Amino acid sequence: MVHKVLSEQGAGGITTTAIRIRESGIERRARFRGLAEPLSLLVALAVLIGVFSLLNERFLTASNIQNVLTQSAIPLIVAVGATLVILLGSIDLSVEGVMGATGMTWILLSNNSRGGADLGPWAWVIALGVALLLGVASGLIFTALKVPSFIVTLGMWYVGLGIATMLYGTDLLPRLEDEGLKGWTSRISLGLPNSFWVALLVIGLGILVLRNTRIGRVTLAIGNSETIVRSAGLPAFPVKVAVFAIAAVLSGLGGILATVQLDIGSPTVGSGVLFIVIPAVVIGGTHLGGGKGGILRTVLGVFLLTILNNGLILSGVESSYQSAVTGAILVAAIVFAAWSQRDRLRVAK
Amino acid sequence: MTKIDSERTKVAVPARGKLPSVKRIGGWHAVGPIVIFLAILIVVAILTPAFIGSGGLAIIASSSAPILLLALGQAMVLNVGSIDLSNAAIGLLGAILLALTLGPVAGLSPVIVLLATTAFGAVNGLIVAYAQVPSFALTLGTLGIFQAVALVASGRTTVYVASNGEGIHALYESGIANVPMTFWMGVLLAVSLWVLLRYTRVGRGMTAIGKNESAAIFSAVRTRSLKVLAFALSGFAAGLAGIAIIAQAGSASPTGLGSDLLLPAIAAALIGGTSISGGVVNPLTVIFGALTVALVPIATTAVGIDAQAQSLVYGAVIIGVVALTMSRNKSSIVK
Repeated sequence: MVHKVLSEQGAGGITTTAIRIRESGIERRARFRGLAEPLSLLVALAVLIGVFSLLNERFLTASNIQNVLTQSAIPLIVAVGATLVILLGSIDLSVEGVMGATGMTWILLSNNSRGGADLGPWAWVIALGVALLLGVASGLIFTALKVPSFIVTLGMWYVGLGIATMLYGTDLLPRLEDEGLKGWTSRISLGLPNSFWVALLVIGLGILVLRNTRIGRVTLAIGNSETIVRSAGLPAFPVKVAVFAIAAVLSGLGGILATVQLDIGSPTVGSGVLFIVIPAVVIGGTHLGGGKGGILRTVLGVFLLTILNNGLILSGVESSYQSAVTGAILVAAIVFAAWSQRDRLRVAK
Repeated sequence: MTKIDSERTKVAVPARGKLPSVKRIGGWHAVGPIVIFLAILIVVAILTPAFIGSGGLAIIASSSAPILLLALGQAMVLNVGSIDLSNAAIGLLGAILLALTLGPVAGLSPVIVLLATTAFGAVNGLIVAYAQVPSFALTLGTLGIFQAVALVASGRTTVYVASNGEGIHALYESGIANVPMTFWMGVLLAVSLWVLLRYTRVGRGMTAIGKNESAAIFSAVRTRSLKVLAFALSGFAAGLAGIAIIAQAGSASPTGLGSDLLLPAIAAALIGGTSISGGVVNPLTVIFGALTVALVPIATTAVGIDAQAQSLVYGAVIIGVVALTMSRNKSSIVK
């Protein structure tokens, strides 16, 4: 929008040429920098794939690729929401709790070994409704009560886990009995696993929302400067609530798919997802301070981490080292990204 | 236009300004944590008088000891405007190292562990200060590394203290006023940190960084070394927490006691009146934050809430307490 206004003014014949040359220089450099980061990620991905396929011939087989895609589907879906929240400059720690609550609601309302009602598609609606409620609650507490998002979503993590534990009760484990749904996530249609198709759909919608809707534009603007957004009269308050709601619904969707994948309902169905999603968003190059970044970069980040873990396991590295590898990559990525911008007067939070 | 004006006047007059009596002792966020702890305690005392009579307070204090130690370290890091997500993992790694080395080197072992955990914290601080990376992302990364080191060092099993464990165990067994020494260790650390923050140039500098880092840099505060110090203190406190874990359990495992203390410790620091954006901290009220965190599960059972609802109540209490004790004004930006 800003660019359009600037170029229209330029066409209108403003003669401050020096300023315009400088501006176009800055713009060109910004565009290069915007391309350089994803490019370095793509190179890293290509190197990883090359090394692993040399180390192990099983790595590049169709079944392993499908395996990697299935593994990356749930983190991808959750990471789209997490990216939106981080673009606001906030953080969503509640994903694992929301996944637990939604997954448990869904399986108890579907055809499961505990019996009870089988609501079919309504189970999806109600379960995602639970996620939506949790998200709106986070968003409202964050905006109306001005409690930092770190704390709200930390609390909401426990609340979600609590709801899941209460629904779980003391009965036997609820097992999925619907034969059509069992193993649906890893089943292949048109060459790709079903859950990955869902992830692609979510990524596409996410990009559309971020680029082409008011919510998306205002989200980026809030991340850049909330003061300016508010003084421009843009709807900061409702957009923040909407972003938290979207993120929670996507976490919920991830929770349902994870439950289908696991075949049984468990309050801790989402455990470990947060430690993939947030590093993936950061490795992708989205700034934790908000305003800069995007969904496609996050997708690259998720792929980098899943391929790395998959390849290391195939190469016979013990799974104890997995979190160290994710951690080391995260540290390397942020130090690499920040190194050129070091400055005595810079403040990095 | 009028809206903006009214906002400005609200900024100029602090919301709590009308209450001089509260303000004199340091504002609501100084008394809030104590009031909330006492309020919950009174409810528990009325509903289950037997619990308080039979040394319930000592139980709360002893179970809060590792949380308190971690929360104090976390509060120091939050005070400089950063966060340390790796301190609980450092504490657990410290506990595992202590259990492994107590047999071979006996008395030297706690010293080695404290030196190691302080060094781990300092490494976090060095990277945050000199590579200028966001502490949230950095310590999330080092959290993964420390977790993996703990898994490998312990061989994925519980490490028992083979011999020479008596001295450490005595910290939990002996105590003052029926409360174990591990808790008093936390109180002692809190008082020392309070003195550091209140009466020394170093402590004042740390708070200055949290309040406004750019201003601190321009005022010639040594921001980088003070940040390293804050993270090193967090590592040191985590080492003490590791010692408290061994004193209590006599063993350490990557999934056992102490493996899920990160969030309770952050919650304790926040409930204790620490600001998440930096510049506001009081180690003495963090003690009550930790006690509240330890009390909540006991209180939910006492009030008769189902054990399964515990984590729900816990989450709601964290949000509620922080919403109550936070200082805010209308035009501030909250992220």
